[in-house]
Formats: sequence, structure tokens, C-alpha cells
Amino acid sequence: MSAPTPAPSPASPPPPRAILDGIAEVARRHLDWQGELAPGMRLVEDLRLDSLRLLTLAIEVEDRFRVALDEEDEAAIETVGDLVALVGRKLAAREAEGG
Amino acid sequence: MIAATAPPAAAAATLNQALDRAAALAGGGLRLVDRDECERFLPWAELRRRALAVGGRLAALGIGRGERVALVFPTGEGFFGAFFGVLAAGAVPVPLYPPVRLGRLGEYHRRTAAQIAAAGARLVLADRRVRRLLGETAALARPALGCRTLDSLPPAEPLAAPAEVAAGELALVQFSSGTTVEPKPVALTHRAAMAQAAILNGFWPDRDGVRASGVSWLPLYHDMGLLGCVFPALELPTVLTLLPPEAFIARPALWLRAISRYRAVVSPAPNFAYALCTARVRDEELEGVDLSSWRVALNGAEAVAPRALRAFGDRFARWGLRAEALTPVYGLSEAALAVTFSDLDRPFSTGRFDRAALAAGGAAHPDPEGIELPSLGRPLPGFAVAVLPEEDGEATGEAPPAIASTPPRPADGIAPEPRGEPPAPPLPEGRVGRVWVAGPSLMAGYLGLPNASAEVLRDGWLDTGDLGFLLGGELYLTGRAKDVIVLRGRNHAPEELEHAVAGIPGARPGCAVAASWLPEGEDAERLLLFVEAARGAAESERAALPDACHEAVLAATGLEPDGVIVLAPGTLPRTSSGKLRRRETLRRHLAGELIPPDPVNPVRLAGALARSQLAFARARLRPAEPGEEKA
Repeated sequence: MSAPTPAPSPASPPPPRAILDGIAEVARRHLDWQGELAPGMRLVEDLRLDSLRLLTLAIEVEDRFRVALDEEDEAAIETVGDLVALVGRKLAAREAEGG
Repeated sequence: MIAATAPPAAAAATLNQALDRAAALAGGGLRLVDRDECERFLPWAELRRRALAVGGRLAALGIGRGERVALVFPTGEGFFGAFFGVLAAGAVPVPLYPPVRLGRLGEYHRRTAAQIAAAGARLVLADRRVRRLLGETAALARPALGCRTLDSLPPAEPLAAPAEVAAGELALVQFSSGTTVEPKPVALTHRAAMAQAAILNGFWPDRDGVRASGVSWLPLYHDMGLLGCVFPALELPTVLTLLPPEAFIARPALWLRAISRYRAVVSPAPNFAYALCTARVRDEELEGVDLSSWRVALNGAEAVAPRALRAFGDRFARWGLRAEALTPVYGLSEAALAVTFSDLDRPFSTGRFDRAALAAGGAAHPDPEGIELPSLGRPLPGFAVAVLPEEDGEATGEAPPAIASTPPRPADGIAPEPRGEPPAPPLPEGRVGRVWVAGPSLMAGYLGLPNASAEVLRDGWLDTGDLGFLLGGELYLTGRAKDVIVLRGRNHAPEELEHAVAGIPGARPGCAVAASWLPEGEDAERLLLFVEAARGAAESERAALPDACHEAVLAATGLEPDGVIVLAPGTLPRTSSGKLRRRETLRRHLAGELIPPDPVNPVRLAGALARSQLAFARARLRPAEPGEEKA
């Protein structure tokens, strides 16, 4: 992946801002999203993502951050901020495991 | 009516026998490729060993012959162990969609529970990750033996061999559309499944002693993926390379790369997949790719758009794609899968037809300026296609054509379904009507729904619900008589979308219609939602309706309408019994005739006012009789 962020630093997972930027990059590159991405935006109502594009978002976010999102966790996600927080938790868990 | 020659004989009478045979021949298996393009090979012999292990444990749990077991798995080894394990136990697998990623699950739970109930599944088997999500589904459907993973089946000895089942017994149940409203479980026998597999294999015969191998990213809970790819590979046997559908959706290039890497000959997909590749695959993703082995690029399961095929052919010719590979086909899950194929090794063909004649008289008049329709080809061996007059009074009374049907000859392993004459005299070539098909892989019926089955199955003929005509022995489709929305190769009941807008402020309850169609010259079907505003709805509510309906449909179904059209109350056409007429709604909209039937203008309003005042005055003048209700 050609992503400039997040910087792989074993000591500290990337801050939410870096995760948000990474997700925004995914949205621009793969979902034709133009403009800024704010944590309060809802994936369906505001970003207008249909099931095909939600799936693309999930896969591309997994690949960019090298995490496996769990369908069980995904079920509770409504906003960009929810997704940022989930990716943050997964990255933190990976750090804790010494990954 | 057009009938084909006799079908080829299947190498085995049942899926269980086919698995035994493939394992014994030790040729081929399933190559499972993940989205990082790492592969795992599952030989047929190994798959049989796993099936016997799962079958033994299912028997220990009390799963009996002919009982249904629902399967909710992503593409992977788990699905195949479960699917062939259920078959080995003599039971009937029912593959269902796993939950969508990041989507709302409310509709998913209701739909899946309705399908489990309709199939009468005693047990749900699921992938470990999916299992954790199915709590609500299981609570709604209450399968007798619960919802389990393969690991949580009771320990037991493996079966010595797969159950010996008869060719006429049920092999699997598939759903023609995902819906919470009266889901229709399509019941297929082993005979039907094997007949379809043998017919498909007969269509791409070995060349120079090399068995045609395939690549598929199609979901295994979709007829094109399971009956169109897995069963033919098992029947030959050969190697089938499988990609997870989600990998294709996110990175369409993975499909083309796999075809190139494994020198695949056959790979089918719905129309949308070709358009998705044209739009999303980047040149740098195709470095070193060579698509010249791909001889059979089937396009079916939804309306075939000539524009999408041409764009795909042009886009990927540089990578060796042969224009003749693109092959429009027609089929439906009630016929197991495929019914007609256009010729291989020939560029796909289209015709242009006079729009007005198609619309008004139901006749196909060639017209160089007319609408372009793709030929979907001729009936597959053993199949016959007839176009019958529509039953709602649109019959023409013309003489039946003189083309005689050639009944398929009985062959080893396939006893053709008894087939009489079509239920009505067929229309001559060039006349638009309802498409009926007959052939060796028709469903036994909708499981547990004798009335719904009798509506579409008559004397070995199936009413497809599609509209079209035959010309030069080839099938062309013009639309659908049945109320179904077809998007991305998947069928949806319009009710699903219509229910999503119920309760939105300003929307008239129960007065919404969803419809999809392929607009002329476009590359995909478009989805429209028609919503009547409530009487007395505030202007602000009315103005907010399109956005509110758009959001509601997207959230509930994951489908995005291409337009929401707000109508005055009473505009949607209805039958005399008050049912909404979806097809007529779309027809009127496209013709610019969707207007309020009784427009409220000042004169009419004054008249109505005067009548009500008169009635009011009468009621006042005339004393009410005892027991009489006041108007």
C-alpha cells in the first residue's frame, strides 16, 4: 500500500486524527468521496454508502491499517467516528499483543 | 417455440455420487484464493473426507434424511465441509447470505429468519464469526436444533460413505430473491442439479485434452456461483478457482488477475461485474495479465446491457481479451440456472427494434434507429422456450407457430421431466409475450408452497415471469411481468424497499412503489421509488420526502435509489381490488403519463364543496330517524 500514514511506531498506536486521515484517503481513493470527512458523519445517511460501497470501505480500511474488523463490532458502527474508534481499538490490541 | 436437442448425460446421478467419483478420480478440486492472492487447494478427495466427518456429526445430532439445514458461511473451506456434509448425511443444504459488512442488520435478521422458516430448516450451521451475529436471527426463526458452528457439532465417527439418495430426492434449496415478504424456497432435486452441471460442461467441451477450468468470485449462495461453477467442476471433475465475493467488489482486478494466473477458460458474472471492472480496474493492476485463455465470459443473472459489454471488451482487449468471449445468457434459479446461451466463439449479437411497436402491439419490428436488445441465444440441450400470450387479456389469438418441439431423449443419469405441450398456444416469432421454459433442471417446486408452485409450473413448463420474444430461434427479453427488482445480479422484492418508507412523515401509508429497469443505452438497471405524499402533508414535509425516502431505503436495504418521485395522493395506479400496479406505474412514468387521475382544480373543488353543503343542509332539515346514523 502506498499510504504515507500511519507511521508504524510500536510504542504508540496512531492518534485518532491519523486514523481519520487514513479513512478519508480510502474514501477519496475508492469511494469517490470529495471533500473533508468529519467524525460525526454517518456512513449511510451522510456519505450515502450502499452495501457495495460499505463493503469496499470495510475491506480497504482493513488493508490500509492491517487489522481485521469483526462483523460483530461492525454492527454497531454508524458514523465515521465509530469506525475511527474501532480501528483505534484494533490497533491498540495489536500493540498489546506485541504486533 | 424453440426446442434444443437432447441434453448430455451426467457422469453421476446425484451430487453424492459425483463427489465419490471426483474423489476416486483424484483430478482437481477447489482452489481458494484470498484477497492477498494466497491460495489453498482443497482436492475433491479431501473435501469428501471432510463431508463424511461433518455428515457423521450431523447424524449424531439427529439430522435425518431430507431435513433442511441452513448454511450461513463466507466463501471458504467451512462452506464446502458443511454443504457436502449435509448432503452426505442425506439432508438438504439451504445456503443463505451472510450479513453485509458495515450494514444495518435489522432487515438482514428479518429476511434470514423468514428464509430459515420458509425452508423449514431444523438447524443453522454458520461460520464462527457469522455465528456470533446470528443471535437475533435465531431468536426470530427458532430452528429446532439451534444455530451452531461445525466445531460445536457433537463428536461422532465419520460416515463410511455419503448417504445413498435417489436422483429424484431434494438436493438443495435456493432462494430466488432475498425477501421478508413471502420468501420462495426453490427446491431442486439431485437430478436437476446434475442435469444442469452436465449441460454446462457440454457447452465448453475439453479442447486438446485439456479440461476447461474456471474462476469464480460469485457467492456460493447464488445460483450462478454454486450451480454454475462448483457443480460443473465437480461433475467433470476439474479445478475451480474461487475468490471471495467481497474481494472482487473491493478489488475487481483480482478477478481478471486470477483468470490470467490460472489460465481459466470459463468465468461467468452478472452484467454489473463487467461494468464495475471497466470503471474501477486500473492499468497498473494488470501488469503481466493475459486474458487470452478466457473463452467463455458468461453474462447473465440480470439484464444484459450491450453498452457494458462493449465497454468491457474495448477496455480489456489490450490484455488479450477476445471479443468472442463475451456471451450473454439467460436463466433463473427456478430452472436451477441457465436456460439459453448465445453461441461461443462468436461476438455477441444485438438487434434494434421499433420502440412504439414493442410498447404498443407487442411486436418486434426491426428498426435501425430502434432500441438495441441483446440476443440471449438459443435453448440449451434438453430445454425448450416458448413465448405465450399474457394472461391478463393481452392475448392475440393468432395461430400457433409450426415449429415442433424435439423432446429430449432419455440418457443415462438423466430422465427428462415429463413435458407436455406449453400451457397455451405459443405466439409466433417476433411477438412479445411471457417467456415459459421447459427442461431437465426445472425446480421441483417452491418448498411447502403448493399454490405458488402451481402458479408457475404447468405440465413440465415454468412461467419465468419475464417478457420477451423469439426471433431467428434466439431469445430477446423486453421486460418483466413479475414484480421483482434485479440489481447487481441479485433479486429483491419491491416490498422490501416500499416498507422502508412506511412511517416517514408526509408519506401516504402503503402508497409507495419500487421498480427497476434497464434504460436504453445505459449499462445497468436503474432503481426508482414512487411515493405518494399524504393528504394534508405540510409543504416542508413534502419537500423533505425525497431525501428522507432515499435515506430510509439505503439504511434498510443497502440499495441506493437512483431517484425518488413524489406524487399527489391517488396517482399510483391500482387494480380494481386496490393492489398497487408496479409495472403499470413504471410504464406510465416512462411514458410521461403518471399524473393524478383526478386533479383538484377550483371548479371541481367548488362542486365538491357545494355537494357537501347540500348534504349537510339536507341532514339538518331532515330529523334523524331513531337508529339511523348521521352521514
